[in-house]
Amino acid sequence: MHKSQTAKIVSRVLFWILVAFIFIEMVFPFYWAINSSFKSDSQLSMTPATMVPRSTTEPHRFAPTLENYSTVLRDPTFWLGISNSAIVAISVTILSLAIGSFAAFALGKLRFKGKGAVKYLVLSMTMFPQIAVLTGLYAVKRSLGIPAIPGMILSYLLFTLPFTTWIMTSFFEGLPTSLLESARVDGANVFQSFYRILLPLTAPAAVTTGLLAFILSWNEYLFALTFTTIEREARTVPVVIALFSGSVAHQDPFGQIMAAAVLVTIPLIVLVLIFQRKIVQGLTAGAVKG
Amino acid sequence: MGKKKSLEGNEAQTAWTLLIPTMVVIFAIAFFPLVSVFRDSMTDREIASEKEINFVGFENYINLLSMTIRELPPKVDEDTGEIVIDEETGEIEYTSPVRVLPREPRRYKDLAVFDMFGKKYVLGATDPEFLASVRDTIFFVVVSVFFETIIGLAVALVLNANFKGRGPMRAVMLIPWAIPTAVSSRMWEYMFYSTRAGFFNTLGEFLGLSGGQFAFIAEPSAQLWVMIAIDTWKTIPFMALLLLAGLQLIDKGLYEAAVVDGANVIRRFWHITLPLLKPTITVALVFRTMDSLRVFDLFQIVFGEKRFSMASFTYYELISNNQMGYSAASSVIIFFILLIFVLLYVKTVGVGGENA
Repeated sequence: MHKSQTAKIVSRVLFWILVAFIFIEMVFPFYWAINSSFKSDSQLSMTPATMVPRSTTEPHRFAPTLENYSTVLRDPTFWLGISNSAIVAISVTILSLAIGSFAAFALGKLRFKGKGAVKYLVLSMTMFPQIAVLTGLYAVKRSLGIPAIPGMILSYLLFTLPFTTWIMTSFFEGLPTSLLESARVDGANVFQSFYRILLPLTAPAAVTTGLLAFILSWNEYLFALTFTTIEREARTVPVVIALFSGSVAHQDPFGQIMAAAVLVTIPLIVLVLIFQRKIVQGLTAGAVKG
Repeated sequence: MGKKKSLEGNEAQTAWTLLIPTMVVIFAIAFFPLVSVFRDSMTDREIASEKEINFVGFENYINLLSMTIRELPPKVDEDTGEIVIDEETGEIEYTSPVRVLPREPRRYKDLAVFDMFGKKYVLGATDPEFLASVRDTIFFVVVSVFFETIIGLAVALVLNANFKGRGPMRAVMLIPWAIPTAVSSRMWEYMFYSTRAGFFNTLGEFLGLSGGQFAFIAEPSAQLWVMIAIDTWKTIPFMALLLLAGLQLIDKGLYEAAVVDGANVIRRFWHITLPLLKPTITVALVFRTMDSLRVFDLFQIVFGEKRFSMASFTYYELISNNQMGYSAASSVIIFFILLIFVLLYVKTVGVGGENA
C-alpha cells in the first residue's frame, strides 16, 4: 500500500517535470528574444550572456534599456513593413474567404457532375509546392508589370484558397439540406438561398479559416522576398526583419532585430491565445477527419 | 419530372458558376506558371536581360544532374617514381580531384571524396552546389520529420492526460507555429551566436561541453543540425496538436476494456493507440514531408549562400544569378522529387482515398 503511494507520487512528479520541460522548451526562444531586446549593444556582447539584462559595470544590477524599441519604432521601414503586411494579409483573407465560400457552397451543397474531380483538385492543391512556380510567377509578374503588393496578394491565394475551400466545404456539408429546400419553396433561387440563409451560418467556419489565412499570409516569406527584390518599399514585415541590417556594416544589430521580432510577434501570440480553440480545429480539420 | 430535371440542370449551372473564380485562380497562379516553368526550363532565359532566348533542350537538366565517379590515384613523385607519403601524418597523398575530373565537354567539380575497397574515389558533378542542396535537404527532411513524429507523439500523449492547465498548455503550443519563420530564424540565429554572447555557447561552457566558442552556423558539420533544431522546435508542437486531435477521437471505452483484461500501458499503446492513430500519423507525415522538402526561410536567412536547401538554391539562381531557365529546371526537379515522395507514401502506407 505504502509502496504504491510512493510510486504514484514519483510518477506524478515525473509527469510535471515533463510538462514543465515541454513548456520551457517552447517558450524559451521567445523569452530569449525579449531578454535580448532589452539589452544595449554593449550588454549584448557581454560574455557569458546573461539571463536578464545586467549592467555592464555592476554585474548584479538589473538594467534593461528601451533604446532598441525606440530605434525600431522610429524606423519608417519597420512601419512601412507593418502596413504592407496588413494590406496584403487582410486582402488575401477577404479574397480567399469570398472566392472560397462560393466554391465551398457548390462543392458542399449542390449536386453536379464532376464534383468529385473538382474536390480532388482542390485537395491536391493544398500540397502544391510554392517553389515549383516561383520562377513562373516571377516571370508573369515582370512581363505584365504587376507591382509587388498585388502580386503577393494574388500569389498567396495559391496556398490560402485551397484550404479555405476545403474546410468551408466540409462545413457546408454539415449544414442540413432542408434549409436549402425550404428556401426554395419560398421562391428563392439557389444563389439567393446561398447568400441569404447559408452564408450567415458559416460565420464560425469563416472565422477559423480567415484566421489561418491571415496568419499564413502575414508570415509568408518566399514570394515576399522574391517579389520585392527591386521594389524595396513593398517589403512585408518578415522580409524587413530578415534583411534588417544596422548602420554599421558586417554587424547585425541583434538588439533591434529582437525588438522588432517581439513587436511583430506579440499581436500574433495574442491572436493565437484568444482563438486557440478555433485555430486548432482549423489546423486539424484537414488531418483528422476527411 | 420535367420541372425536377430543369431544377437539377439549374443547380449544376449555379455550381459551375460559383466555381469559376476558384478555377480561374488555380489556372492563373498554379497551372499557367507551372507550364511556363516547364517551358523556361528548356531555355537559357535570363532575367533583366535583352539577350535572345534560346531553346537548349535538356541542357539545364544535364548541367544540374551530371555526376561521375573517378578513382583518385596516389601521388607519384616524378623523379623517383615512388608514391608520395605525407611526412607529418605518414599517410599516402592522393592526386587532387581537379586533375582527375573531366573538363571536356563539361567541367566537373568535386562533390565528395570517399574510400571504398582500400581505394580513394572522387564523386564529381557539373553543379556540386545543386546536388549538395538535394542531399542536404533530403537529410534535413528525413531527420527532422523522424524526430518531429516521435517527439510530437510523446508530447501528444502527455497532453492527452487529464491535468490542470491542459488548456493553457495547448494554447502555448501554438506560439512557435504562430511566430513567422523569418522571425524565429533570426531569434535562433542569435541563440547560436559563435561566442558566449550566444545562449548555446554560454550553456555549452556552463555545462563544460565546449569552450564557448563553437561556430554553430559556420561549422559545416553542425549546420544541418542547427537547421533541424530550429525546424523541430517550430513543428513538434504543431505535430503534437494534430496527433492530440487524433488521440481524442479514440474511444475511451477501449482502454477501460483493456485494463480489465490486464493489458499494461505498453500493450495498450501498441495494440490500441498506435493502430487507431495510424491514419492521423500518416496524414501528418505526408503534410510535414511535403512542407519540409520545400524548406526555404530557415536556410536562406541563417546561411544565405553558405549552404543551400533545394528551394534556396532555386531562389539564388533566379535572383542573384538571373538564370531563369536554370532556376526553372531546378524547380522542375524539386517538383518531381516531391512527387516521388508522395508516390512513396501512397504505395507504402496507403494514403489517399478516404483518409486524405
